[in-house]
Amino acid sequence: MDSHGTILVIDDEEIMREGCYRILSREGLEVIPAENGFVGLEIIRERKDDIDTILLDLMMPGMSGMEVLEKILEIDRDLITIVITGYATVESAVQAMKKGAYDFISKPFTPDQLRLVVKRSLEKRQLIKEAEYLRRERERSLRDIATEKSKLKTIINCMADGVLVSDRDGCIVLTNPAANLMLTLPDGQLIGRHITECDLPEELRASVEKSLSSDDHSFKTISQELFLERVKPLYLRAHTASVYAESGEIMGTVTILQDISHLKELDKMKSDFVAMVAHELRSPLATVEQQLGVILTGLAGEITETQHHLLTRAQERTRGVLRLIKDLLDLSKVEAGRFIQYKEPISLDELLGKIVEGNLPEAKAKNITLTYSSEGGNFFISADSEGMEVVFNNLLSNALKFTPNGGRVGVHLVDLGSHVKVVVSDTGIGIEKEDIPRIFDKFYRAKSTDKRRIWGTGLGLTIVKAIVDAHLGSINVESEVGKGSTFTVLLPKETEEVICP
Amino acid sequence: MGRKVLVIDDDPDLVEAVSLVLRAKNYEVISAYGGVEGFDKAKKENPDAIILDVMMPDKDGYTVCKELKADEKLRDIPVLLLTAVVSHIPTTRYTLQMGMETEADDYIDKPAEPEELVRRVEALLAKKGA
Repeated sequence: MDSHGTILVIDDEEIMREGCYRILSREGLEVIPAENGFVGLEIIRERKDDIDTILLDLMMPGMSGMEVLEKILEIDRDLITIVITGYATVESAVQAMKKGAYDFISKPFTPDQLRLVVKRSLEKRQLIKEAEYLRRERERSLRDIATEKSKLKTIINCMADGVLVSDRDGCIVLTNPAANLMLTLPDGQLIGRHITECDLPEELRASVEKSLSSDDHSFKTISQELFLERVKPLYLRAHTASVYAESGEIMGTVTILQDISHLKELDKMKSDFVAMVAHELRSPLATVEQQLGVILTGLAGEITETQHHLLTRAQERTRGVLRLIKDLLDLSKVEAGRFIQYKEPISLDELLGKIVEGNLPEAKAKNITLTYSSEGGNFFISADSEGMEVVFNNLLSNALKFTPNGGRVGVHLVDLGSHVKVVVSDTGIGIEKEDIPRIFDKFYRAKSTDKRRIWGTGLGLTIVKAIVDAHLGSINVESEVGKGSTFTVLLPKETEEVICP
Repeated sequence: MGRKVLVIDDDPDLVEAVSLVLRAKNYEVISAYGGVEGFDKAKKENPDAIILDVMMPDKDGYTVCKELKADEKLRDIPVLLLTAVVSHIPTTRYTLQMGMETEADDYIDKPAEPEELVRRVEALLAKKGA
């Protein structure tokens, strides 16, 4: 209890006021004397919140103590008043208590009696204050929660993305107007109904059920694309995640729906454009190269050595452009996420074997020893096979390109359990230290002069890295100038069933 | 052994270049500049082999190939697909699709090395003759 407090003593007898003052001051209390009811009430009106206890004499000339008590309680019912009654007049004390006085003390009283009754009153006062404080806090918290709730409700309702929340049993507890619109469901119609009873897309229902049954507590979102043809064709991207309680048990699921129809439309336009460019640029170039080939083989008549030289150079240039077009097409495919669209179980061992075999003629032409080995290669990984081909073809043809005649290039596959490691190493010219951090950048080519005669678009490794990243893998390079380079690709065997772009 | 080859491609320059290669090896070359025309010529001329482009505006090579293979009289003519996939290494998926979807006898990337082109045509004709 607070040992300090303020006591107002209203008594017409000076001796009483002084007596109280003496006794209570020693207890560390502030004592305010008032010689009659008017003065007392005046002080109360001014300092209502400061005054903890009022000692009120009932027998006073002028305004009687009983009257003063009534006025005090009119000012504030929580004010604590101890009435002082004269000479064992218990009835008036009882009457005062009935009216609302907290306690009474009879004259004459000993200092101890006064201290005791005041101490009790102060404890009571303290309790009242605390209760009041808690009540206010609670009121404020409730107000805050209400404000927060209303704010959240407004946010959810105004969101352009759809929101669908289910409880742990799979009953829908919340949808917002955007979700209702996307799923063409009347407002509020879903609330309280089980997901199996609602007209939801099959895949969405499945991922909600999957999230609910997931016993894996690590945070995991299932993302998927949905195509709906209800009012108009609609592409949605749905992200479904479980909501966990503090104890770790699943409390429900939250699904966010994004309308990606316009993105799909743009994507289609882009693909159409890319295909158009591919055809319109590549076909004529292929024809030019074919024509050059015919002339170079002498089928269109004899050609001189100079003509042969020039035409050979011309053919190399057209080939370079063809390669650039191919790389740009690959890059646009990677950026459109198309190299991770068709994930299937593939045997890396088989794939690498084929790729190495495909590169043998090139290796042979440069008298490079090209080898392939695997450690426990008999497994499947979940990956896009075309993407994987692009990755390892690019790494391998780079290795062959930058390895001088008579060198060695090796591809090595290692099973690491949850991951697989593919190492492509060569005894080539190597990469300068300062180039290493940038070799995966678009159009970056190492500035070494030796490479002037080596063609390249500067896109190969960018494509490689993008595809590896999209498979949640990693690529790492170690190199020493003049000795060779080693590219190490790590890929998870089972990637998450769905990737969030 | 017949040496009549039908070249079908919508790009006349490419047809010309391929024809030059084949004529140099004493093949009789007839040409068509589209899928529809190509199929008609195949019927009319009954060639010993067909070189068929994939990407053509009126009717693509896959469709022409399917129609050829569905026709009793034309079924046995070997078809060499000219693919526009710019890739110097065979891709497994592509091989798979080709094998499953087109029933073509062989395919070669465009542009084709003249020697390689001749080699493929020889091989097809030898297979047909066997």
